[in-house]
Amino acid sequence: MLLRKLFRTLWQYKAQFISMVIMVALGVGVFLGFNVEWYSLEVNTGEIYDATGFADFRIYNDKGFTEKDLEAVKALEGVSDATRFLSMNVAVKDDTDTLALTVSENMNVSGILLMEGEPYDAASTDGFWLSDSYAAANGIHIGDPLTLTYQTITVKGTVKGLVKSSEYLICLPDSTQMMPDYTSYGYVYISPAMLDRSVPALYKMMAGSLYHQINVKSALDKAAFVELADKALGTTRLILSKDETVSWSEAQGEVSEGKTMASILPVLFLAIAILTMVTTMHRITAGEKTQIGTFKALGFKDRRIMAHYSSYALIIGLMGTLLGVGIGYWLGWFIMNPNGAMATYIDMPSWTLRAPGFTWYVLIGINAFLTLIGFLSVRRMLSGTAADALRPYTPRRMKHLRLEETKRFKALGFGTKWNLRDCVRHKARSAMTLFGIVGCMVLLVGGLGMQDTMDAFLDVFYEKAINYTTRVNLDAENMTLAEGKALAEELNGDWAASRAIQIGDKGYSLEIYSVARDKVRFADTDMRIVPLTDGGAYICARIARDHHLKAGDTLTFSPYDSDERYAVPVAGVLDSMTEGVFMTAAFADQTGIPYTVSAIFTDEAEIPEDGRVLNKQSKQSIMDSFDTFMDLMNKMIWLLVLAAVILGIVVLYNLGVMSYTERYREMATLKVVGFKDGKIGRLLISQNLWLTVIGILIGVPMGVGVLQYLLTALASEYELKLVLGPATWCVSVLLTFGVSLLVGLMVARKNRHIDMVAALKTEE
Amino acid sequence: MNLSLEEGKFIVVLGLSGAGKSTLLNLLGGLDSPTEGTILVNGKDISTLTANELAEYRAASVGFVFQSYNLIPTLTVIENVALVKEIAPNPLSSHDMLKAVGLSDHIHQFPSELSGGEQQRVSIARALAKNPHILLCDEPTGALDSQTGVMVLGLLLSMAREMGKTIIVVTHNQNIAKMADTVIRVKNGRIEDCRNQDHPLSVEEVDW
Repeated sequence: MLLRKLFRTLWQYKAQFISMVIMVALGVGVFLGFNVEWYSLEVNTGEIYDATGFADFRIYNDKGFTEKDLEAVKALEGVSDATRFLSMNVAVKDDTDTLALTVSENMNVSGILLMEGEPYDAASTDGFWLSDSYAAANGIHIGDPLTLTYQTITVKGTVKGLVKSSEYLICLPDSTQMMPDYTSYGYVYISPAMLDRSVPALYKMMAGSLYHQINVKSALDKAAFVELADKALGTTRLILSKDETVSWSEAQGEVSEGKTMASILPVLFLAIAILTMVTTMHRITAGEKTQIGTFKALGFKDRRIMAHYSSYALIIGLMGTLLGVGIGYWLGWFIMNPNGAMATYIDMPSWTLRAPGFTWYVLIGINAFLTLIGFLSVRRMLSGTAADALRPYTPRRMKHLRLEETKRFKALGFGTKWNLRDCVRHKARSAMTLFGIVGCMVLLVGGLGMQDTMDAFLDVFYEKAINYTTRVNLDAENMTLAEGKALAEELNGDWAASRAIQIGDKGYSLEIYSVARDKVRFADTDMRIVPLTDGGAYICARIARDHHLKAGDTLTFSPYDSDERYAVPVAGVLDSMTEGVFMTAAFADQTGIPYTVSAIFTDEAEIPEDGRVLNKQSKQSIMDSFDTFMDLMNKMIWLLVLAAVILGIVVLYNLGVMSYTERYREMATLKVVGFKDGKIGRLLISQNLWLTVIGILIGVPMGVGVLQYLLTALASEYELKLVLGPATWCVSVLLTFGVSLLVGLMVARKNRHIDMVAALKTEE
Repeated sequence: MNLSLEEGKFIVVLGLSGAGKSTLLNLLGGLDSPTEGTILVNGKDISTLTANELAEYRAASVGFVFQSYNLIPTLTVIENVALVKEIAPNPLSSHDMLKAVGLSDHIHQFPSELSGGEQQRVSIARALAKNPHILLCDEPTGALDSQTGVMVLGLLLSMAREMGKTIIVVTHNQNIAKMADTVIRVKNGRIEDCRNQDHPLSVEEVDW
C-alpha cells in the first residue's frame, strides 16, 4: 500500500520530482562526461604509447648521429633500447602538401601501429607507411603511388600500409600552427633501406649522418640521463624528455584540462542539485507532515516511515543517476569519438570510452547523500510524539527586519514588502533561486566569453599578425644568410631565422625577424599589435612567468649544440603561440648570434620550385585548420548555453512552483480581496526578477572569474587574454532575464486555477 | 432558491454542515459562479461576470471575514489592512479601521504575534477598509473561544448598526441568530425559512 502511495505522491509532486531528476542527471552527466573524457584520453593514448614503445628521451644534433653514437647510448646503464631517427618535412610531388618523412632504424622505439595494409618491412625499398588520417583526407589508398621531393632528391614508391604513430599523435608542421590539418600535412614512414637507396651518396657525404635524432627508452630521470648521455657522446646535446614533446605534453595537457573541467562544472551542477534536493525534500516532507503524523498515530514504526520517505530521495537519485550516466557517456562520446572535438587534435587508433573507477564510488556516494537528505527531512517531521507529528508544519515566525526601520522601506508598496519578507522568510528557497541564476549566468558568461576570447585571439594572432599570403620554409642548413636575404628580396618578403636555445635547462625557440615590409606583426600581452624594436629581446608571456623576467631584466640563453652564452636585455613581453624569444635581425647582429634565413613571408604568387625551398604554407591553410576546431568549439559552447538554460529553467521552475505552493493560500486571499490574476502574477514574477538582478550582479564577476580560471588552467599555452564582447554581455543578461521571466510566467499562469474557496477553508 | 436581502441589515444564515450556506455566501461574494439563475447586487447581475469583472466586484463591493482569518503572514497588521488600497476604489483609512476594531496598539506586529481574536479583528478591519456594501462572514467565530467570539460578533453588529453595512454571517450557532435582523435557514441547498426579526437582541442580551 505504501508503494502505491509512493507513486501517487511522486505524481502529485511531479514538477519537483522531474526537475530534481533533471538536476541530478545534469550534475551526474557533466561529472561523468568530463571524467570519461580525460580518462578515455589517458587510457587510449597510453595504449598507443605502449604499443609503439614511445621513447622516453630524444637527443638532437644538427650534424647527425653515427652508428657508434647509437651504440654508446645503448650501452648506457638504465637505457633499455634506442634508435637513430630522422624526421624531416618533404614536399609531395605535384602537390602543395607537406609530409614529415620519418625513418627509424628500430621500430621498437617510437614505432608505428598498422591500421591497414602490409606490416612494416625494414627491408622494403619502395614502401610507404602513410598516416591513415592524411590518406583519408586526401583520398589515398593502399597500393597508390607516392612521390616525395626534398631539394633535388626524389623518393618514389607505393603506399603499403596505413599507420598511426605516437610520435605524431598531434601532427603539426611547426609551432605556428595550432591545429593539425591532414588535408595538407601528415607523416610517412619509410625503411632505412629505402632512405639509403633514395639519397645519393654525395648528399650523404655532404650532410654527414642523416639521422639527427636518437630516441631512447629509459627509466632514468632527465638529469641522470643527460649526465650520462653527455659523457657518452662527448659534447652537450639538446636532450628532451618525453614530457617536453608535443605528442606527450599536449596529450597529457588535454588529460589535465579534462580533470580540471571535471572538477569545476560538475561541482556547480551537483551543488545545485544537492541544495535543491535539500530544499525540495524539506518542502515535500513539510507538506506531508500531517500524513507522516497519521502514519505514526496509526502505529507505523518511525523506521518504516523514514524508509518510505527516504525512498523518494533514493528514487530521484537513482533515476537521475541512470539518466546522468547516459548523458555522461554521450558527452564523453561527443568529445571523444573519431569525428569529435578531440579527434581534430589528437590522432589515436582507439576511441574506447572508459570511466575512471572512482566515478562509480562518487555516484554511489551521491545517491547515498541524496537518500540521507530525504532521511533527515522526514526525521525532522517525525520528531516528538505522534500528536506533535500530527500537527501541520508551521513555517518560522516572521520577525521584523532592521531594514524596516528605514523611511525608504516604509514607503515601499505592499507587493515589494510582501516579496522582500517572503525572501527573508524562505531564505533557503531564495538562496537556491539565486544559486540557479548565478549558475546560469556563470555558464553563459563562461561559454560565450570563451568564444569571444577565441575569436579575439584568432583575429589578433592570425588575421592581424599574419600579414602575408604565403610562408616559404627554406632549407636553412644548406643556405647562407646572404642567399636567404637575396631570396627574400626576390620575393618582396620579410624573413625570419629560427634557432633552438636553452634558458636554464629548458629548450625554447629563438626567432629572429626582419619585418621591414610589415608581413609579420607581434602582439603584446594586452593583445595590441606592437612593433619590434632593436633595443633588446622580446620574450613570450610563459617565459616571463616561468623565469620571472620582465622588460628591463637581462635574459641569458645559449643556442643548443653550442657553449656560447648570450646575455641580452629584455625589451618587452609578447603574447605568442610559440614559446620563445624574439628579436630583430639588427639586434641579433649586434649581439653576434649566428643565424641563417629559415622562412620568408611574402604575398608573391610565384614561388621558385628549387632546392632552396622546403615547402610553402598559405595563410588560408592555417586559417582553414581552425574551421573544424571552431565549429566543434561553437557546438560545445551552444551545449553549454543549452545547459545554462536548462539549469535556469529547471531550478527556477522547481523553486517557483514551491513558492507558489507555499503562497497558495496568500494568493487565494489576495484574489478573494479583489486582486486580479494579472496583478498577483506580476507580484510573483517581480520576486523572480529581483532575484535575477541580484543573481546577475553576482554571476557576472563569478562568470569572469571562472572563465579566467579555465583560460589559465586549460589554455595557458595559447596565452589567451580574456575578452568579453558587448554581445556576450547582452545575450547573457537577456537570456538569464528571459529564462527568469519565462519561468515566472509559467508559474504565474497557475494563478488562474487557484480555488479560492478550497484554499481558504484549509487550516492555517 | 429565491432570496432578497436588505441593505444595512445584520443577516444570519443558519444551517447544518453541508446545507449549502457557505455556497450561498461564495455566490454572493463572487468567489463562485452559479450554474443557473441570477444574483443581483444593487441591481447588477454578478452571475455573468468574467473572472476579472468578479475581481473588480470583490474589490469594490464585498468584504470577507473567514473562520481562519486568512491574513498575509509576511505583512504587518497595518500592511494587511492597507493592501486593499491597491485595489479598492474608495478605501477607508487603515488606521481608522484598526482603531475601530481596537487594534491601534498592534499595527506593526505580524499576524503570528497576535491572538486568534486579534487576528480576526484585523481580518474585519481589512474587510471594512475596502468600504464595501456587504460584509460576508463565514463562521467568523468558529476558531475563537466564546469570549473572543462574542467580542467579534459585537464588532460586526456595530458595523451594521453604526456604519450601515450589510453584514451576512454564516454559522451553525443558533445563538448568533438572536442578534440578526434577518435569519435565513438553509437545508439541502434550499432556503427552508427566511424570517425578519423586529427586535433583535444585542450581544450582551444573548445568553452565550
